Amino acid sequence: MSPFTSTFDLIERFRDGDETAFGQLFEKYRPRLGVLIHYKLGAPLRERVEVDDILQEVFLAASKDIGSFTYRSPGSFMSWLSCIADHVIIDEVRSQARGKRAAEVVRFRSAGNPGGPEPADSATPSRILMQKEGARDLLGRLDALAPDYRDVILMAKVEGLSSAEIAERMGRSREAVAVLLHRALQRLRTLKETNE
Amino acid sequence: MPGQHGNGGTENQRDDSPAGDAGRERRVAQALADYVDLLSREETVDTASFCQRYADVEADLRREIETLEEMDTLTEASTYDGADHSCEPRLERLSGHRILGEIGSGGMGRVLLAVDERLGRKVAIKTLKTQYSSHPILRARFMNEARAMAKLSHPNIVHIYNLGEPHETPHFVMEYLEGSSLTEAAHALPLRQKVDLIQKVVRAVEFLHQHQILHRDLKPGNIVVGADLEPKLLDFGLALQVGDLDNRVTRAGEVMGTLEYFSPEQTRGNTALDPRSDVFSLGTIFYRLLTGSLPFHGESFAETVTAIRDREPILPRRLNSSLPRGLQNICLKALEKNPSDRYQSAGEMAQDIERYLAGEEVLALPTAYSRLLAGRIEGHLRELEAWKQDQIVSDSEYDALRKGYGRLSEREDTWIMETRRLSLSQVTLYLGAWVLVVGSALVFLFHFPELSGVLAVLVVGAAAVPTAYFGIRSWKAGRLQFAIAYLLAFCLLLPIALLVTMGEYGAFSGLTKGRQDLELFYQFDSFKKTTNAQLWWALLLSLPAYVWLRRFTRSSVFSLVFAVIAALFSLTTLLRLGMLEWLDNDPGRVYFHMIPIALVFFLVAIALEHSGRPSDSRYFYPIAVAFTFAALSGVALFHEPYAKWLQSVAPWTRGQVEYLFVVNAGIYLLLQSFFERFHSSQLRMIAKSFRFVIPGHVMTSLLLLGLEASRLWEESPARTAMRREARIFEVLLPMVACAFVFGSIPKQMKNFFASGLFFLAIGIVRLQQDFFHDRATWPITLILVGVTLLAASRYSAFRLVMARRLRRRS
Repeated sequence: MSPFTSTFDLIERFRDGDETAFGQLFEKYRPRLGVLIHYKLGAPLRERVEVDDILQEVFLAASKDIGSFTYRSPGSFMSWLSCIADHVIIDEVRSQARGKRAAEVVRFRSAGNPGGPEPADSATPSRILMQKEGARDLLGRLDALAPDYRDVILMAKVEGLSSAEIAERMGRSREAVAVLLHRALQRLRTLKETNE
Repeated sequence: MPGQHGNGGTENQRDDSPAGDAGRERRVAQALADYVDLLSREETVDTASFCQRYADVEADLRREIETLEEMDTLTEASTYDGADHSCEPRLERLSGHRILGEIGSGGMGRVLLAVDERLGRKVAIKTLKTQYSSHPILRARFMNEARAMAKLSHPNIVHIYNLGEPHETPHFVMEYLEGSSLTEAAHALPLRQKVDLIQKVVRAVEFLHQHQILHRDLKPGNIVVGADLEPKLLDFGLALQVGDLDNRVTRAGEVMGTLEYFSPEQTRGNTALDPRSDVFSLGTIFYRLLTGSLPFHGESFAETVTAIRDREPILPRRLNSSLPRGLQNICLKALEKNPSDRYQSAGEMAQDIERYLAGEEVLALPTAYSRLLAGRIEGHLRELEAWKQDQIVSDSEYDALRKGYGRLSEREDTWIMETRRLSLSQVTLYLGAWVLVVGSALVFLFHFPELSGVLAVLVVGAAAVPTAYFGIRSWKAGRLQFAIAYLLAFCLLLPIALLVTMGEYGAFSGLTKGRQDLELFYQFDSFKKTTNAQLWWALLLSLPAYVWLRRFTRSSVFSLVFAVIAALFSLTTLLRLGMLEWLDNDPGRVYFHMIPIALVFFLVAIALEHSGRPSDSRYFYPIAVAFTFAALSGVALFHEPYAKWLQSVAPWTRGQVEYLFVVNAGIYLLLQSFFERFHSSQLRMIAKSFRFVIPGHVMTSLLLLGLEASRLWEESPARTAMRREARIFEVLLPMVACAFVFGSIPKQMKNFFASGLFFLAIGIVRLQQDFFHDRATWPITLILVGVTLLAASRYSAFRLVMARRLRRRS
């Protein structure tokens, strides 16, 4: 990666008032954060909330709080963003709950609400991800994984956590996490083979 | 969606895993963990060489890593532009310039730093990102826009040196600007230099608009200020094209950066923008420069959009109290939510800033103040309503406050009597207009031997026509304060000009009923002999002009002009009916004829108010009320048939004027109870004004009647009937006075109370002189009555004390 666009430089440039730097940061982290948010939202919320909206909120919040962010290691920006995403999603859940109380929102059909109306565009929640066949297929397989398996893969590859961080988050040893990841990947592969 | 099951999944799937060597599995897992750690440091890992390090499990590891890398299809799928800039091809040369590196990257373009080796200067090259450059329409637009920009040459707009050849990646070469963004540059500058800077920017944007280019993305980051303090505009005109492509996601990063500078119409995704959208962005930049903070800013994306669309910015002077009011007005005018309230062009805004820089009065009259007030007032009014219901404030206080608030929440009128602040220029303007009108009036009032015939008409025309012309022009140009002054002058000059023309050409010169003694101006020797008919026609012909001006400017001051001139017209009509003769022989007739005039004014006012024009009707009501008072009082005083009618109905009144006033008071009582039925605040004010005069009418009449009866009785003491009458009035006056004192309670009329007290005192004195002459019992009785009343006012407290005493006893 060129020194021009390293995360550290971009953050520093943005702090100095270079607004284009933030655009670049956004471009750089958006794809991974998008996938992360997709999973953080969970199925019921995904039907009502656009991943993009959360993304926007996350980056807006990030741009405001950039002063409070300290760059410790290359991955720290991503985990910081992920942390903001958690807050934004929690806020969203709260406001959704409020909204529902206020005006009895019609709930679309879902596993928890089989009698609800069919959403006008079923692909809406993660339209972005669904556009490509490969991605759709992979999403399907990830959904079929056990939550632990899915989480470990996301943390390792998308969120970009180190094995020690994953271990801390999951409350397991680093070795256990390594094995879990190994098995998760095996399972993902098996699902692919059975699909084919 | 599936995938929402419990935690047990891990256990189940353990069975699926190949029952391989546990040690081998750990080894692969360990290697994977190492790989993950490398990834977490955002390092680019060469999979092949990495796997080689774990020779024993290399194949397994590679398979695992490949599976892990499959996750990239997700991130890539959500990436439209292959976002990482490292994905962009490294360009070596463009248009013969050697590329040194990348300076910046926006939504769809990259800006590269390059060097022109022949001239030995640095240049900036803007290119389309790879994924866009293959898009033929975008590519064509990009180059078209660049071509349009290349035609521009302006000191405050970045220069385009040349355009890329068709076979190359689309790009254009522009001057390389060294400097800082507008906000950074302006940060430490004194106010005047900040204003100078923004002035140049506004002029540059105007220049763009003149060349049919909208910037659409004005923000401090797009304005580079060099060491010479010359701002340069960058990056214009391209924003829309991206919006067209329906991939707003790509724009997301950019939208976020600039959202705060968007106009309300831009936040609605409106693609049909006009220059006024750029004016709004200029306003935001101006605000930022003046105050150091953004006018519209929310905690979230959605809040920012709401702020831009609906919220009023904090007044700049609240944030920086040293800021001149003129600059605040410019700023707020540019930030009007409704484009039609804004400066209609960047040029207009620039002119206003120039006016400020030249030390002149700024013309901007932002609506923000009245809306700001209205927003606050709404809450106050609700509170006020509650206070009234809880009787914390009196009805009259409530009315007065409501009226005051109502005036506040109206848009500040441009008319001098309704502006919130007088200024020297405005006062001078009105003085000039007034002198002009008075000067012209002299031409119609008096004879000037050197100024007669066509010359007089020309002179007055030379005063009237330019005022109308400049008035309308200034109004269209948004200089409302000037326009109103000009147009008001024109309103007065119009009948004058008509009169002068009629006078000089002898139109409508026929006398009223052919008699000179009925002509108003024939009564005065020094005046020009203007006939009543000429007056009448001049006023009548002027009226439509006021209606038109009212519609054209939507300023209610022309309704005032209309109402006043219409009142004069009504009086002139009476003149033509022979008012001067009636004044000599039968003045009552004049007043009698005012009744229909009052009626017409009432009807017009009610009609206006009902058609939703309370700001017009409020000028007609007072005139109607004034005519009513004048008519009824005049009729009572002078109209003989009225007195005769009373005498025939009630012979004992002897047709005395005072009785007629009491009848008038009754009429006012009827009128007030009629008008009170309406909910409109204006009509309630009318009711109040009728109610106001009742006690004076009644009690003054009673006093005068009593005095008259006493006088008659003294003249002929033998007449017992007269004596009885005098006595009746002596008793009646204090009684009625007391009635009024208590009558003040239901309608909260304090004048009932005050005049009641006053006439009660007079009544007591009169009783003393007649009934209780030299009797000490009278003042003592009065003192006792006073004490009793004082005690009665504490009646409830008294009862409480008594109750307590009784309880103690028992």
